[in-house]
Amino acid sequence: MIKNKFLLAFVILSSNAVFLESSNLVIKNAEIYDGIENNSYQGHILINDGVISKISKTTVPYADKVYDAKGKIITPGFIAPDTQLGIVEIGALSVTRDDEASIYNIGFSIHDAFNPNSVLIPWNRANGITSAITLPRNTSSPIGGLGSFFILDSNLDISSEADIAMIGRFGGSGSSSRAETLALIDDMLSFASSLDKKDMSSDASIDEVIDDSSLASHMDFKLRDVKALYRLINGNLPLIIKTHRASDIIKLIELKNTYNLNLIIMGAQEASLVVDEIVENNIPLIVNPINNIPNSFDELASNINMTPILEKAGATLMFNVSRSHNYHLIRQGAGVAVANGMSYGGAIKALTSNVAKTFNFNDRGSIKVGNMADIVVWEADPLEPSSMPEKVFINGVDTDLTTRSTRLRDRYIRDLEKPNTYRN
Amino acid sequence: MKNIYIFLYFFCVFVVAENYKPFESTYEPLPPTNTIFRNANIYDGEGNELNNTDLIIKDGKIVAIGVDLPSSIDLIEVDASGKWITPGIIDIHSHMGVYPAPSVRTSSDGNEATSPVTAEVWAEHSIWVQDPQYALALKGGVTTFHVLPGSANLIGGRGVTAKNLQRNTINSMKFPDAPHSLKMACGENPKRVYGNRGQMPSTRMGNAAGYRKSWIKAQGYLSKLDEYEAKSDEAKELSYKPTRDLELETLAGVLRDEILVHNHCYRADEMATMIEIAKEFNYKITAFHHAVEAYKVADLLAENNICAALWADWWGFKHEAYDMVQANIAIVDQARNGTGCAIVHSDDEIGIQHLNVEAAKALSAGIKAGYDISKARAINWITSNPAKAAGIYNQTGSLKVGKNADVVLWSKNPFSIYALAEKVYIDGAIAFDRSSGLEPSSDFDIGIINPSKNRIEE
Repeated sequence: MIKNKFLLAFVILSSNAVFLESSNLVIKNAEIYDGIENNSYQGHILINDGVISKISKTTVPYADKVYDAKGKIITPGFIAPDTQLGIVEIGALSVTRDDEASIYNIGFSIHDAFNPNSVLIPWNRANGITSAITLPRNTSSPIGGLGSFFILDSNLDISSEADIAMIGRFGGSGSSSRAETLALIDDMLSFASSLDKKDMSSDASIDEVIDDSSLASHMDFKLRDVKALYRLINGNLPLIIKTHRASDIIKLIELKNTYNLNLIIMGAQEASLVVDEIVENNIPLIVNPINNIPNSFDELASNINMTPILEKAGATLMFNVSRSHNYHLIRQGAGVAVANGMSYGGAIKALTSNVAKTFNFNDRGSIKVGNMADIVVWEADPLEPSSMPEKVFINGVDTDLTTRSTRLRDRYIRDLEKPNTYRN
Repeated sequence: MKNIYIFLYFFCVFVVAENYKPFESTYEPLPPTNTIFRNANIYDGEGNELNNTDLIIKDGKIVAIGVDLPSSIDLIEVDASGKWITPGIIDIHSHMGVYPAPSVRTSSDGNEATSPVTAEVWAEHSIWVQDPQYALALKGGVTTFHVLPGSANLIGGRGVTAKNLQRNTINSMKFPDAPHSLKMACGENPKRVYGNRGQMPSTRMGNAAGYRKSWIKAQGYLSKLDEYEAKSDEAKELSYKPTRDLELETLAGVLRDEILVHNHCYRADEMATMIEIAKEFNYKITAFHHAVEAYKVADLLAENNICAALWADWWGFKHEAYDMVQANIAIVDQARNGTGCAIVHSDDEIGIQHLNVEAAKALSAGIKAGYDISKARAINWITSNPAKAAGIYNQTGSLKVGKNADVVLWSKNPFSIYALAEKVYIDGAIAFDRSSGLEPSSDFDIGIINPSKNRIEE
């Protein structure tokens, strides 16, 4: 549950007449890809107070405000599962980066660094991303660092779910053997499994546990680190490990089964070699369907057909991109996957409900009654990068699709008789 | 008598050494696949869309385009109805071979980042011809690519244009008669690389001074060379030829209009500065690359006949790439009544495989900005315009009778994400055929995961 949702709704309801108008809205004549079914259907969606309250395939429900989609495709707002939204403004400018810690490690949370005024947020929203998981950079520990989930409504009263996943990495590093990395992860998980309620009962008792553990002392664990590890084992916290090589994927599956981890594998460029193992062990994957580059010796099997192969085998897929800032390009990746044989409905799910299900965002990621109304109306096919959102609703609110980019564009194509600094 | 032989020997060696031109192209096309494509939809790279049209390629050249062309027994007939044909795609900014895959230190050979001016280095001497990325680009319809050194240096060295026909030596891939190019770089990269070492340049003004000092040296070298070459043969014998200087040879080649300048430059104000420097030293800038702010000076670029090679939407990775506008390409294209020269480039091993989709995004943004730009014109951004910027437009880049038959047959309209290149021809020879499974594999791809298989069988 989003912690600030009701507060937000209350604030807007009590102060904003415009919202009152749109708090009761029907989107009619839409071709709905709901993120659940593979095929679309024609229908009308009633939204009350930001929540989808009715979906009708026949008569148009009454509402104060009507938006006619005129047969266009609507989808759930896309959820980007692997971003640095809100914590990195300009990649090469370290003063604008909040993705790294110097004291904490495993328990490092980026949640409170999130900047809802980042220019990346309107930009990605105008391209159909309505919410996102923001992840820190990998820490010095092979597992560690906590990501959070954010609603991209640019509201300073941030709607979020803090610390919804831990990250990790495993593979060729150039510094030490992957066998050592694996042993270290194993030791950390073993330490985490040994913690009981009594150990966690007070900060003093956690400090005692740290003092008693050679691993914890050696790795300089802090209170936050131990708490995060405890949650990982006892709270079913999703653990997203970035890895590629087929043999490494198998090793991680063994660890998952030993410690009963909620494991998600990211990257997985060699997943097509271990499809059965991935599917049998229910490992959701975050992959970049457009990346077929054997970019390291861990990624030799990189293949444009990997995503369709995984889908056919029944894997749960989510998408990421290989470059920063344009996280919305997950839909271009989805289009490439479809061009190479993935099902269309499956691609839409990978952009929406698969993320929501994997991370337990229970009221987002699909168009169904009771869900928050994160809905995008598309000019045309959402998997064609040339087609853009016509409307983006977040919590039922019709969001502004102006971006800094469109403002700059207009400044250089309109009112050219004025000096540029005196335009728009 | 003996002395005469010795003299003759040295004379011969001298003559041979003088006449031998190293690093010439030894490219040979594959045996021609003479073909008639029936009822194709064609974007010809000259701004035209031709529907239900036939195209004949024969002996490496485009020989006819028209309706109901007569076939002959030596032509393979390909039914292209419902499909699309474009010229082979050209990437004007690639680092294939100099930053090959896998991305490892031992073959990361794109930046000679040891001195801010390294005009003496040639990208072709770094290229690893077994890079598995060429074949992937081929499957995206890329028939020609231009490889540049990286952007660490103010003047980074010579670039090379190659046919996307993977061979065992770079000379056998080099595009015959393509002019050499010179990579220059503005902005953050050179000043960061050298500023971090406490040496010049550490600022943009340091960058500008660095280029100008180099051009002054080049002018001096060139005037000595001109002076020598203007002499009569007798006078030449009595004087010394100026000692060769690899760095200044390259720069003098630019001042003589023999080498094309490709200038990495993001910010509008820096592009204007570079144009001033080019005028000061009387050389031409062929293209600005990356140029995220080109839209701010689109008219200036058009007035100076400078192309801008751009991404559709990449931005934000550094401060000078912050002001991204998706209509950048369209604004450049439409400058000065449509006389601008816009190019969609990749600078990326994934992007190069999808330049058609990158062009589609740029076109869509242009139409949203209010421009009336046809797809037939937008295809020029990845075909004829990069051909012009590489100096090979007389040979390729559009489907004109007599030009090289560099041709892509697409399953659908190439501005769709669902379009796949079905057949790719280089010089009239089929190099990739999705239906028959004909595709190249580099030596790297052989037996590397499973000894009896290739790396991928897509």
